[in-house]
Amino acid sequence: MNKYLQVFKISFQQEFAYPLSFVMWRVRNVLQIFVVFFLWDTVFSFRESVLFGYDRDRILTYVFGLIFIKAFVLSARAQDVAGEIARGEIINYLLKPVNYFKYWLTRDISSKTLNLIFAVGEFILLYLILKPPFYFQTNPVQITLFLISIGLAILTYFLLLFIVNAIPFWAPEMGWGGHFLVTVILVEFLSGSLFPLDILPVNIQNVLSFTPFPYIIFFPLQVYLGKVTGILLFKGIVVAIFWIIVLWFFMNWVWSKGFKAYQAYGR
Amino acid sequence: MGKSEREEFEKAIIVERLAKNFEITEKKSGLIGSLQTLIVPTKKTVRALKSISFSISQGELIGFIGPNGAGKTTTLKILSGLLYPSSGFVQVLGFDPWVRRPEFLKQISLVMGQKNQLWWDLPAIDTFELNKAIYEIPDNKFKENLEELTTILEVKKLLNTQVRRLSLGQRMRLELVAALLHKPKVLFLDEPTIGLDVVAQQKVRDFIFDYNRRFKATIMLTSHNMDDLIDLAKRVIVVYKGEILFDGDLKELVGQFAREKIIKVYLDKPADIKKFSEIGKVKKYDYPQAIIRVPREASAVAASELLQNFPVADLTIEEEPIEDIIRRVFKGETVKKKS
Repeated sequence: MNKYLQVFKISFQQEFAYPLSFVMWRVRNVLQIFVVFFLWDTVFSFRESVLFGYDRDRILTYVFGLIFIKAFVLSARAQDVAGEIARGEIINYLLKPVNYFKYWLTRDISSKTLNLIFAVGEFILLYLILKPPFYFQTNPVQITLFLISIGLAILTYFLLLFIVNAIPFWAPEMGWGGHFLVTVILVEFLSGSLFPLDILPVNIQNVLSFTPFPYIIFFPLQVYLGKVTGILLFKGIVVAIFWIIVLWFFMNWVWSKGFKAYQAYGR
Repeated sequence: MGKSEREEFEKAIIVERLAKNFEITEKKSGLIGSLQTLIVPTKKTVRALKSISFSISQGELIGFIGPNGAGKTTTLKILSGLLYPSSGFVQVLGFDPWVRRPEFLKQISLVMGQKNQLWWDLPAIDTFELNKAIYEIPDNKFKENLEELTTILEVKKLLNTQVRRLSLGQRMRLELVAALLHKPKVLFLDEPTIGLDVVAQQKVRDFIFDYNRRFKATIMLTSHNMDDLIDLAKRVIVVYKGEILFDGDLKELVGQFAREKIIKVYLDKPADIKKFSEIGKVKKYDYPQAIIRVPREASAVAASELLQNFPVADLTIEEEPIEDIIRRVFKGETVKKKS
């Protein structure tokens, strides 16, 4: 275990290697929140009512919840894996008695911890500036399930990234394309990080609920907001776990194929 | 015979009829070419290694030489478990390398002059701490090894400097520390002195030699640098186009491949350079000295001709320098003439 503790430590230090770049990335995050916040604030200032099942408080909580969840779920170091494979740096780890998957999961968690610390600071700052009517969840069951769904979201996203980042085993130049496809198009769009998914037509929502994407951001937030309860919540967690199992086996399959290809061609 | 003595005779590396083929998708040039490659890829099989066999005893330091693309790095990668062989038998310290068992990985190290494991943005000591954890080196062992390695390589003062601020030579020495902290029994070095200046090269060479003797480590070294080989390796394996051309003592290599002798003459009076070229290849003419290369078997005749027909004050016959021979071997020149 000590192995991965050390990985956690060095990864944490690495995050601080370029402090300015880190700060800029956080600033970008804050600005994004501002944009989305004012967008929805404007929408609701015209009509004092409920829109798509969201009132002003809930939508603004949704926006604020995004800061947290994105900081924790979407801040993933594992996106560097593709580059490591393409540049052949992966051999440094193949030569060592270390599990590459655990190594990156640890680095991911390390990065998430750091981002969470900053997200708390930003949250307080934005809360003081914008004074939004924030919805605080008080039901301990709902909070526990929220934390569980966050854990599942982290694993789902990590597995997705790890699968997509294996592409350079076969096509070294495709690394960025795969990353773009997953994070920008699929995750940002289908996970609910741009808008709450339940403003979409019901049919589309139904289809989406059987894909892994809503469980990365939308679902945990809904749990926090108390909009999913009972049987629906249970169904959601089951579907999320189902996807983790599927993705886990798929990831293992892709990576064993990838290593094979790599060991056959070298780089 | 004591146990330790017997162990010395054990084979650390056994390679039998090892072959490695790469399937390569050929890329055509230009945009249209790229599209063609995408739709109808043309595959080509490259035979990187064609059935090579050799074995290395524990504690041996051998030079693995050959021109670019001869299959040196491929062999090292197979031996360290990064590639699997297309056919043949490979055993390192009793393990199948490509299974990459932790017990195996803890006993080997591969250092590539062009790849680095040190974390670029952090001081080297952080990478060392990470390796300590990964290789599960006990605290006291780690301190001892680190102290020893940093002393010999003279890098103690550099431990807390960000790696990106170091010079190439300093970095390479720290790379060696990182690769050796777990005291590997088998060490693969791929061009360890590439890009280093003469002083830094010498430091690295001295270290490799010392490490081999001190810890009875088995070392396989590939290099383009003749000095590396002359200084370090007693035994060399020459590979060319995936085949072993020579396996034996460096001195024997010289005996086998030296085809020319070098005659140095000092003249009393200037002579016509054209007349020299009737005797052999004129390498240099700078009055009063002339250096002529002649075929080995003709050296006596050439010397007497020189003495008879030229105003010679002094004459010496020398062996071809070892560097020249290896350089020719690298170029594959010797091979062509032999076959």
